[in-house]
Amino acid sequence: MTGFLKPALLVVILQAAGLSQNTTYQQDPNWQAPGSAISRANPLARRPDAAAGGQKLFHRNCVECHGEDGSGLVKKHAADLQLSVVQQQTDGTLFWKITNGNPDRGMPPFSNLPELQRWQIVLYLRSLKPSSDQPTKQK
Amino acid sequence: MRRTSLAFFLLVFAVGVGMAQESPYIVTYDHHLEEPGNLEIETYTTLGIPRSNQSFYAAPWMEIEYGVTGRWTSEFYLEGQGTAGDSAVFTGWRWENRFRPLKREHWINPVLYLEYENTSEASRIQKEIVGGAPDVESPNSDLQSTKNHELEGKLILSSTVHDWNIAGNFITEKNLSRGEGFEFGYAFGFSRPLATLASGTPCRFCRENFIAGVEFYGGLGSTEDGVGVRDTAHYVAPVLSWQVSENASIHFSPGIALTGQGSPVLIRFGYSYEVRGFGSKLSQWLGGKH
Repeated sequence: MTGFLKPALLVVILQAAGLSQNTTYQQDPNWQAPGSAISRANPLARRPDAAAGGQKLFHRNCVECHGEDGSGLVKKHAADLQLSVVQQQTDGTLFWKITNGNPDRGMPPFSNLPELQRWQIVLYLRSLKPSSDQPTKQK
Repeated sequence: MRRTSLAFFLLVFAVGVGMAQESPYIVTYDHHLEEPGNLEIETYTTLGIPRSNQSFYAAPWMEIEYGVTGRWTSEFYLEGQGTAGDSAVFTGWRWENRFRPLKREHWINPVLYLEYENTSEASRIQKEIVGGAPDVESPNSDLQSTKNHELEGKLILSSTVHDWNIAGNFITEKNLSRGEGFEFGYAFGFSRPLATLASGTPCRFCRENFIAGVEFYGGLGSTEDGVGVRDTAHYVAPVLSWQVSENASIHFSPGIALTGQGSPVLIRFGYSYEVRGFGSKLSQWLGGKH
């Protein structure tokens, strides 16, 4: 009995975790970083200590739509930043997306933040634990 | 009284520190619009330091700014002024809209600005200076009876270069109440955060919470009296903004006159408070989906 309950409980927990994420998120196919932006390297890549500042900036600027854990709020149509479809993007792509936003889809540009602070956010995004991607999440 | 002071303190220094940094400019606009669904409540005052034949005045105004979409911000103003030895008057309201035609960040980012003003000639907030110089010498009783219905347009060009913001505004205004022709003005500014790397711990007095810069603004005459800088007011004004909490910032700017027109010094200061997700909350209260 106990042998059955444990996996069942695990399934329930994983399902609950899945419900809190924005499983309906669909990437905007038109929101593509140009080649020159994709290949940009994070100048803070060798400064992991800067991620703490990135976390602070994330909480200031991103949590409202992407949630505390970055899983994305459904009502804000915000991306689940833990998904591999996001995590597989280059640092340069994420930096470009933070800088330019996607105003027609509700993501504001954050070009008013200094460049290094935007890279700090990218650094912190990498620390968000990737969830096990469900097929329904990657449309 | 103590409760009022405490409430004010909590409002100004609300828990947490800093969000997307506010522009430090008071007159110049850059290309950053209000985030969609956010509401910003701002209150500012212009203090006019008088010349020998003028009187000291204070002209407060309140702005309610809302991000309608990612590319459209709308703002409503109420304004007044009080002059020493004269009177205090409500000088009218304004409704402005800013539109960002381009979706992405570019080397130069244009924003189109359109404003309707229903103000009296006694208005002294000097949110922009067009034509010559505002009349800061006539008594309020004379100025308040002259009402202006005006349309104002601005072309805002703004650029971010190595964490510096550089912004220029080209202004034209048409008084629909009288034949004053078209009046022109400008505003130009540059600014930079005092630190570009965020510290790992919450802090209120960190350099990253301050943005400093300089702005220049003034009138460029009118089609009626001649376009140019003759008999026009121009100011140079250092600007400083401080992000005091997660939602609030304080702004300060002393403007020094470069010509003999208008007030010799304009001291401006303000406070802004942002209500994030206001649109969603309002929709919820009204029983909407969000």
